[in-house]
Amino acid sequence: MIHSLFLINTAGDLFLEKHWKSVISRSVCDYFFEAREKAVEPDNVPPVIPTPHHYLITIYREKIFFVSVIQTEVPPLFVIEFLHRVAETFQDYFGECSETTIKDNVVIVYELLEEMLDNGFPLATESNILKELIRPPTILRSMVNTITGSSNVGETLPTGQLSSIPWRRAGVKYTNNEAYFDVVEEIDAILDKSGTTVFAEIQGVIDACVKLSGMPDLTLSFMNPRLLDDVSFHPCVRYKRWESERVISFIPPDGNFQLMSYHISAQNLVAIPIYVKQNISFFETGSSGRLDITVGPKQTMGKTVECLVVTIHMPKVVLSANLNATQGTYNYDPVTKILLWDIGKLNPQKLPNLKGSLSLQSGAPKPEENPSLNIDLKIQQLAISGLKVNRLDMYGEKYKPFKGVKYVTKAGKFQVRT
Amino acid sequence: MPYFGSEEMVKELKRALSNPHVQSDRLRYKNYITKVIRYMTQGLDVSSLFMDMVKASATVDIVQKKLVYLYMCTYASDKPDLALLAINTLRKDCADPNPMVRGLALRNMCNFRMPGMTEYIEQPIVAALRDKASYVRRVAVLGCAKMHSLQPNTEIDGRIVNELYALLRDPDPVVVVNCLRALEEILKDEGGVVINKPIAHHLLNRMKELDSWAQSEVLNFLLRYHPRSDDELFDILSLLDSFLQSSHAHVVVSTLRLFLHLASAHRAVQADALLRTSAPLLATCSAVSRELRFAGLCHVQQVMRSQPGLFATHYKRFFCGYSEPSYIKFRKMEILVELVNDENVSLVLEELRSYCTDVSPELAQAAIAAIGRIARTYSEKCLDILTGLLALKQDHITSAVIQTFRDLVWFCPQSTAAVCQTVEAGVDRPQDSEGKQALLWLLGAHGDQMGSAPYVMEGYIDGLKTELSSTVKMELLTATVKMFLCRPAETQDMLGRLLHYCIEEESDVCVRDRALLYYRLLQRGAEETRRVVTGPKSDPSMSVLTGRQEEPISEWASTFNTLGPLAGRDSCPQTDAISAADQPSYSAGEELLPGSEDVTLSGPGDTEEEISLSLGAPLSHESFEKMWLDLEILHRQALGVSRPRTAPDTLQASLQLEKIQTLAFTPADTVPWKAYIYTRSTGTLILAELLQGATDESLVLSVKQQPVNQHAIRRFVSVLKSVLQTLNLE
Repeated sequence: MIHSLFLINTAGDLFLEKHWKSVISRSVCDYFFEAREKAVEPDNVPPVIPTPHHYLITIYREKIFFVSVIQTEVPPLFVIEFLHRVAETFQDYFGECSETTIKDNVVIVYELLEEMLDNGFPLATESNILKELIRPPTILRSMVNTITGSSNVGETLPTGQLSSIPWRRAGVKYTNNEAYFDVVEEIDAILDKSGTTVFAEIQGVIDACVKLSGMPDLTLSFMNPRLLDDVSFHPCVRYKRWESERVISFIPPDGNFQLMSYHISAQNLVAIPIYVKQNISFFETGSSGRLDITVGPKQTMGKTVECLVVTIHMPKVVLSANLNATQGTYNYDPVTKILLWDIGKLNPQKLPNLKGSLSLQSGAPKPEENPSLNIDLKIQQLAISGLKVNRLDMYGEKYKPFKGVKYVTKAGKFQVRT
Repeated sequence: MPYFGSEEMVKELKRALSNPHVQSDRLRYKNYITKVIRYMTQGLDVSSLFMDMVKASATVDIVQKKLVYLYMCTYASDKPDLALLAINTLRKDCADPNPMVRGLALRNMCNFRMPGMTEYIEQPIVAALRDKASYVRRVAVLGCAKMHSLQPNTEIDGRIVNELYALLRDPDPVVVVNCLRALEEILKDEGGVVINKPIAHHLLNRMKELDSWAQSEVLNFLLRYHPRSDDELFDILSLLDSFLQSSHAHVVVSTLRLFLHLASAHRAVQADALLRTSAPLLATCSAVSRELRFAGLCHVQQVMRSQPGLFATHYKRFFCGYSEPSYIKFRKMEILVELVNDENVSLVLEELRSYCTDVSPELAQAAIAAIGRIARTYSEKCLDILTGLLALKQDHITSAVIQTFRDLVWFCPQSTAAVCQTVEAGVDRPQDSEGKQALLWLLGAHGDQMGSAPYVMEGYIDGLKTELSSTVKMELLTATVKMFLCRPAETQDMLGRLLHYCIEEESDVCVRDRALLYYRLLQRGAEETRRVVTGPKSDPSMSVLTGRQEEPISEWASTFNTLGPLAGRDSCPQTDAISAADQPSYSAGEELLPGSEDVTLSGPGDTEEEISLSLGAPLSHESFEKMWLDLEILHRQALGVSRPRTAPDTLQASLQLEKIQTLAFTPADTVPWKAYIYTRSTGTLILAELLQGATDESLVLSVKQQPVNQHAIRRFVSVLKSVLQTLNLE
């Protein structure tokens, strides 16, 4: 299925290769480099590149291209999802998935790739099971290993593979039994010039961190489950019960996992937490322009908007910006043409404002289109859709666990047009 | 990759690895081995250390073993004689009490890609197939496939194949799937693994235990199984039902493909499956990963070929974000064009308009072309936008708009007058050759409606010497000749100059030949030339036939969830294993045999009785067109009813209720209005055209039929009449 994998950085250096069947020459990557050159931006490299004898399926993540070589017909989504799983596993093991960490941990990377695929077929990809086969590196452990000379490979076989529930190993024991859930919602929205919503939807996930002994059977219910119409669950969730009773009933995997993800696309349900008043204009003569942006709270349900950042991609002819921010700091990078205004906390009494002039290349014509604003923000203790967890019950075990739910709302692809 | 001083480095490593002091210090020894692997992965040739590395494999440290195995697998094919030395160690490890070591050794032994390995690995593999640890069995099963690929042309070992078929019942789900994978590779020449009824049901029952990757693969294998009866079919479908809502997009899509394939005779089931997967598909279209989003969009695009309405209400999901990569934006625009309907058209156009000023010229041009496609149905609104874009006076935009105008005039002649007016009112001359050609074509084809056309043309003829593109010159020749035919007085002089230049001074042979051709043609007289050059103009109903059309699901189901649609071209590279067995086979003739399934409904004797109409298999546009052209009109009559003033959808739906399928009809306000419909009855296929001319109110019906059956026609006419009358009453 997946014949070979090449890891390539943005500079075009191939820094890791792995072949699961016969060795395929690196020259196959020339087709990738050709497409890379044509795409200009690394983002624009098409995910599927046909070559005379192979297909190359590529994902671009954390400034690394994962280029897989395919020789037989395969479902494309399968390969793309698998490559993302590889990247996630690296992230899980090394804290981040970057060229440096991969190079530093090259031995573990090879061990992982060897266990994840055999003969080109996915084998063990659940992080729980992998971690029993190959222990992740930690500073403490690598020190202990250095002193004692012991290895970071599990001596026993993962038991989870044999238990009747594939995602949970048998005989889990904790002194503190705890179950935490994070409800994370991202708002994807496009607002037009006048502030009207062109498009808005919420992408939500519930991440769980469950450290419970034995075989607990959990039931999670919501105050307002009707909100959710487009959901997908971790395989552990009993779908039939969700369909009939709208509760989430499951035997959880051990550790961190994503319990469910959902979309809310009905626009009347999507509250837009802030409004942006902006005016960016360029003068016909004099090679200059004016910028005036004010941000204010709209539907925040009484919570504070934090980590507010406004990013503007300026037209190429903008040379510099001479602005004045009433709150936060701004920075204009003349090379990438990105104006970044880091506001921080939004104070509803004193609205932050950024105002001033832009100077353009002299003699250049007035830019045709106005740049659009990308907004980044965070609201703690609020799920903007109004979703609320009602209660969490545990059956099957006798102890009393600690339980907790946190809510956070973030901006996803949040864009304001000018 | 030649590294500077690499030889020195290898020598130093060799010295260190063979140093007994280092060998006795486990930690230092391992560090050197790690170093070797690091160089190897950077592409440095460290194969000369092979002997030293083989020695290092005799250790209890699993990580060190793994590293050495990795090294050996890489260089075994270069040093086959030395690799044989390593095999002994590996075979010993295959009998280790630790299952991890057993599995590891076996896997790496199978990965030695060198000839002659088979005799060493066969015995351990066969033994490991019965190992009590599932981890080892998993490795052994795939090992069978690797062993086969080492000597691809030998006869298949029946013993191993039987063993693998037996292991399909293994308690470990991964072993089961690995068996399928291995059998598939071993039996490739015989069409892959055979899925019979017991195997199919066994796999179906174990689906829930498998991980998502395995589920997806098993679903693909199940495409080969054909249920014997409808009961069995529905049993299978209900088992698979929950996978349509899986949290993994690849499982959803694989399940959908299987549904479409299995239920190919049950259109309602197919439609239901598509409806239920629309939510997960849409979710994939807005996934965090841009590659997943792209793949999701490609799949949505395929589904829309049959069900354009399915995603219509979600059109806003296909608006492009600012930071999205261009390959996603292109797909989204293609989808938006297909989604347009009466309600959302103005919003979609507004959105597309904002893309027209994108910084990337390719994207801007694609957006303009998209508006042009929508203009075939909603000409007025689109023409306003396109005209507005001309005012921006941007070169690439102007050029794209003019090209769009040209296509629009051809596909949708109703808009000719408006386009001519805009072009007449003043258009910048496009600078690229594509744009020039488009402008010249417009001037030539519709010069009679543009007063200033000859003067624009003259500008081009005067600048001929500096024109580089020969295609532009050829277009100029054709356009000038056409113009001459409708406005000879103004054009004669410049045509003369043009022909003179092209024949006497032009160096490009094609242009010269074209000029000579026109010259000789003109010598035969103007009438003769007119007959040849100005052929029939395009047909107003053309936009209907080339416009949006609902294809049967079988058209695309076979390529659903494959790489073809994502790669953006139909032909696949010559991958060796895209076997016929992998694709569900569709006999091409199947749907074209009209009424073959209806023959049994009523015998030839009882034609006097009530004849019923039926829908049967859907007819593709191509086959309809072909038959329409081939057959004679059997029956023509004025129906005496006028065209119902209801929405096109209502008309289509009510006809379908009476088992009459609508293939295509012209937009409501076009004159003449036409509709093409068909139906089946008692082994005959009836094709019909409804026509409403400019003057008379009544519809004229023309019927063609194959094979001829007058009773059926009479029945058809009466049904049709009653439908139309009912609609008119409402």
